Amino acid sequence: MRVINAIYQFIVGDMIILVGIILALIILLLIEYVPFLAPLRVATGAILIVAVLAVLVATLSREALGKR
Amino acid sequence: MQWAIATAAFLASAVEFVEALTIVLVVGVTINWRSSLVGAFAAAVTLAIIVGTLGVALVQYVPIVILRLVVGIILVLFGLKWLKKAILRYSGLKALHDEEAIFEEKMAELRTRGETTSQLEPFGVALSYKSVLLEGLEVAFIVITFGSNVTTTGGLSGIASAAIGATIAGILVIGAGALVRAPLKRVPENTLKFVVGIMLTSFGTFWAAEGFGYNWPLADVFILILIALYLLASFILVTWLKQVKERQVAMASTDRETMVTAEQEGVRP
Repeated sequence: MRVINAIYQFIVGDMIILVGIILALIILLLIEYVPFLAPLRVATGAILIVAVLAVLVATLSREALGKR
Repeated sequence: MQWAIATAAFLASAVEFVEALTIVLVVGVTINWRSSLVGAFAAAVTLAIIVGTLGVALVQYVPIVILRLVVGIILVLFGLKWLKKAILRYSGLKALHDEEAIFEEKMAELRTRGETTSQLEPFGVALSYKSVLLEGLEVAFIVITFGSNVTTTGGLSGIASAAIGATIAGILVIGAGALVRAPLKRVPENTLKFVVGIMLTSFGTFWAAEGFGYNWPLADVFILILIALYLLASFILVTWLKQVKERQVAMASTDRETMVTAEQEGVRP
């Protein structure tokens, strides 16, 4: 457990960033492997950019508004 | 030579070396320079071994598509961590990294041990080794991940470029530290952190999407568009967070005034 925590702190150290990027990854994997979602493949780049920006806004909002 | 990779590694290394140098200086001043430099040198060798073995192993044994995806995601995670810290510091919600304060604090800690000797002191060696290794590990990781992704365009030139960038940063920071023999407080650490955060996030996004088989419009040129996009978003976020902070300060002072007035009215007969 201590090792996992050390790796988590080393790489990211922020649960919102980690969960947000994992969610984005899952969505992109679904788009990639579920035939029904194949038309969305052309938007992979845009989806990833939006996800990264959303994660950044979310983690900064938590820092800014959570300290009130 | 991959200039973008070398620059990113250089900037990231400069920030981390400045932080490590503070502890190396403290050990040098309070215990002795021999222990401090031996510890720092041993850590540098350890880091070189990690980059050499892990970097080469990754490039040789992991397929490039998987490497791009994994490395892209790791770079995005790293980049967002650095970017978040830098934005919070720019907006005033987080204190700037104060190397001088850390230097004084560590000096006081070590002076209470009361050890001054010219012999090799194990505690000093270990402290210097640990600080350089811990700060350098993140750089080693960036060098490996950044460098390993560019192998398709020219053998191991990606890792080599990143390693060259990191080495130049190390030489410059250590040289400057040796000259002034004081913490490098004039190095714009937050600006470097911000630039590295933008670069890591941009390259990470680019490679992660490529790992999914996505072809970016304009190919590699799109990295510049990503950089511009994240820069713009960061400036908007800094402006917004500054306003949030001003509002919080205003609210706090209003609350304080209200409490003081209420207390004064309560005291009056």
